[in-house]
Amino acid sequence: MTRVFINGIDGLLGARVAEVISRDREARIIGLGRARPPAPVGRAEWFAARLSGKQFVELLRAEAIEVVVHLDFAGAERPAEDREQAVQQNVIGSMELFGACAAAGVRRIVLLSHVGVYGASALNPAMITEDRPIALATLSGLLRDFAEVEQFAIDFVARRPLLQVVPLRLASLIGGWSPMVEYLTSPGPRMLVGFDPRIQLLGLDDAAEGFARAALSTVAGPFNLASDDVLRLSQAIRLAGQQPVTVLEPVVELALSLGNHAILGHWPFGPSFLRYSCVVDTQRAKCELGWAPTRSAAELIQMLRANGRLVEDRAQSEAALREFLARRS
Amino acid sequence: MSDDTSPNGRPTGVPPSDAAEGMPDLVASASDQLAAPDAVADSDERAPAADSVQDVVASLDERAPTADPAQNSVASLDERAPTADAAPAEAASKAGKGARRSASAAAAGGKTSRASSRKKTTASPKSASGPGQVKTGRAKGAPSVTMEAGSGATAGPPPAPAEAGFEPPIAEKTEAPSSASWFDVPVGGAAEGAAGPAPAPVSSRSFWTERPIELATPPSAGSLYEAANAERAAGPADALFEFEVEVRNNVAETVSSEVSEMQTMAAGLLRLVGENMRRMTDQQVERVNEILRNIDLRDYLDPDFWKGIGMVLRYQIDEQVGFIKRRLNGEYSTDPFGMDREVIAVVRPFLRFMYRTWWRVKAEGLEHVPSEGRALLVANHSGVLPWDGAMIAAAVAEDHPSQNDRIVRSLHLHWFTTLPFVAPTLAAMGQVPGLPENAIRLLQNDELVCVFPEGLKGVGKLYKDRYKLARFGRGGFVQAALRARAPIVPVAVVGAEEIYPMLGNAQPIAKLLGMPYFPITPFFPWLGIFGAIPLPTRWFITFCEPLPTDTYDPSEADDPLTVLGLTELVRERIQATIDAKLAERKMIF
Repeated sequence: MTRVFINGIDGLLGARVAEVISRDREARIIGLGRARPPAPVGRAEWFAARLSGKQFVELLRAEAIEVVVHLDFAGAERPAEDREQAVQQNVIGSMELFGACAAAGVRRIVLLSHVGVYGASALNPAMITEDRPIALATLSGLLRDFAEVEQFAIDFVARRPLLQVVPLRLASLIGGWSPMVEYLTSPGPRMLVGFDPRIQLLGLDDAAEGFARAALSTVAGPFNLASDDVLRLSQAIRLAGQQPVTVLEPVVELALSLGNHAILGHWPFGPSFLRYSCVVDTQRAKCELGWAPTRSAAELIQMLRANGRLVEDRAQSEAALREFLARRS
Repeated sequence: MSDDTSPNGRPTGVPPSDAAEGMPDLVASASDQLAAPDAVADSDERAPAADSVQDVVASLDERAPTADPAQNSVASLDERAPTADAAPAEAASKAGKGARRSASAAAAGGKTSRASSRKKTTASPKSASGPGQVKTGRAKGAPSVTMEAGSGATAGPPPAPAEAGFEPPIAEKTEAPSSASWFDVPVGGAAEGAAGPAPAPVSSRSFWTERPIELATPPSAGSLYEAANAERAAGPADALFEFEVEVRNNVAETVSSEVSEMQTMAAGLLRLVGENMRRMTDQQVERVNEILRNIDLRDYLDPDFWKGIGMVLRYQIDEQVGFIKRRLNGEYSTDPFGMDREVIAVVRPFLRFMYRTWWRVKAEGLEHVPSEGRALLVANHSGVLPWDGAMIAAAVAEDHPSQNDRIVRSLHLHWFTTLPFVAPTLAAMGQVPGLPENAIRLLQNDELVCVFPEGLKGVGKLYKDRYKLARFGRGGFVQAALRARAPIVPVAVVGAEEIYPMLGNAQPIAKLLGMPYFPITPFFPWLGIFGAIPLPTRWFITFCEPLPTDTYDPSEADDPLTVLGLTELVRERIQATIDAKLAERKMIF
């Protein structure tokens, strides 16, 4: 019997993870969120609250939790309003949770992260394996939070042999809201002139499957999770029914140095990710977790497009609306 | 220009004559005039001919008020006439020989529908002389006369004033060979259509189906590629191949090596154009047939001329539009390294041209390259721009005995990854940044990987240091091969050192531009972009016997002695092969 605690069950990913883990009869799931879960959570018991470190310890002890799945990151599944608050929640909140886990004798923490923590650089191998160190210094925004938490976790567990932290580095999620979805569906996705990096995506269900497997197994170490196929960024944008807007790199540099962050539109990462690829190898997850992606990136974008959130589909929606309104006449 | 018209000879001369037999006076007289300019006639006859053309135009005038452009072009024809006269008689006779040969070849191959029209051509004495005349024009290099005549005639037709204005510029732009080759065929069809009451479908269809037969005899200089193509030969581009054959055959006749070189190059260029046309789909062919059907062929004096060009262009545009549309919708796929086979297919004809025609690369020892499974090609690097990598890839793609279309994944300097436009292009072509992880991963995927251990030191070598191998790095390639247990195939490239004789390296400019070196050659930077055209030296690429690495344990990749020893061994073998080839080589070009 494994007792799993999911921190962040109020996101779509958290709810799906709870549902997938529920399939294991042996598992008992406690969920915590800041709001109601947006989707069915299987057999998970959950409550909505914001807990401090001490309260976490109390909860984890009382429920004798063995495995913690930490998904509570601001800006990952819904837009973060305020950067300062987001850092508080992401970094400080995670540190508190880690401390509580250590105090409560939790044996394993499965941590949400992003493949972007490897950074984007010309010196990255074409397919990055988990051995590559995270490039904390080059990152910004949500990626920096992920990297900081991972870095903290590495230092933290180094002195605590009984605690295991397993970061799952996910490619940009498709399904529900994610910064990449926002980028692909907003008008005029930005690209740099002359550069066309390769990107990977990951379906929400595949990600949930990965978390469930990581939570219920005992293997150590970070895992990359991403779709098997690789798209060019321009290709992804075009598959999503949009046309990329290219910007000269010097212009971007200048604008960013002047504090104009709108120049990159909704691009969720730094400008270096528009230049260089950050593509990962998922072999380790496949071998050690038995995980495999069920959806390709191209499929995911097709699904995204079918959601009707795109500019191009407005005409269709308009037609549908007219048809509906005209039904009485 | 002349080359193009000649191969088919029959085109310009013949079809009009056909038409003359069964067609209205107007067309008949016009075609006579058209044929006249080509003839080896004396200058006396010339003037009258021009006159009669003007007559035709006059008659046209009666039919259509908008014949002004036609008159202009007729005038230009008049001015050109003297050039045609200059063609010497012996050239004519020689050309006649060629014509006969092509005629017989056609007869041999002409089992199908084409045969009928052929017969017609050969039957009429006029048509028989037609090819010969054109040949003259070609031999002397004064083919423009026929072109002028054609455009003059086309400009005339009343029904299509817009085209008349639109056509001539295109004619100039289009590759002469292609246009010429095209026209003849349609002419035949057009003439028949015009003569008979039921014009379209038959003639236009036959226009396409006939193609293959003409191609039937692949050129002597031919390759596996052509043989393969001959089987599926059904494309509209085949007419061009016919020309190519002609040109190549001509090479055999010519004594002067200089001329033959030129003609080989011309043949290569023809093929480049032809291969681009090959990529059209059946649907596009259908569409052009459709277009042909809808045109009232009688209204054009020389419809084949401009229609041919128009169709070629339309094809090309359709093809490109379809391709671009698909690309714009993102409907393509790449491998994890970004390689895009569609892009490779687009570039390949050009590389083939550079390989076969420009550098006339002679590749040896390709049997040492495994037809499947991993292998590491290690080559010397030279020539300022990394053309040698492209040519090694072309050698494997073109001449490998197994012909299984292996793509060589070259490792490039990761500095290129930082360059806009260059980086995505290289990735699409299957090139990979030269990092050890990438090399090992590619080898473990059983790819054929090519590395240049000299790196920048090799490619930026000065001319005075040519063919002296630079240091082979720190043996990283040997480590990769040992870890992936891939055999090492040393490759020696001779000829690439001279494509851009680098006399000096302007380091300050290089630093300023952020480039690894800034070459000073006899032509660059003085001639600007033209200085970047590589010299057409003759290349030899020798693939040496592979060095097996499965006798080593992968852990020996960490042993510097083993690694450096193997590195030196590979380097020596390449150097020895280069020296041997250099001793064999008589001249650079």
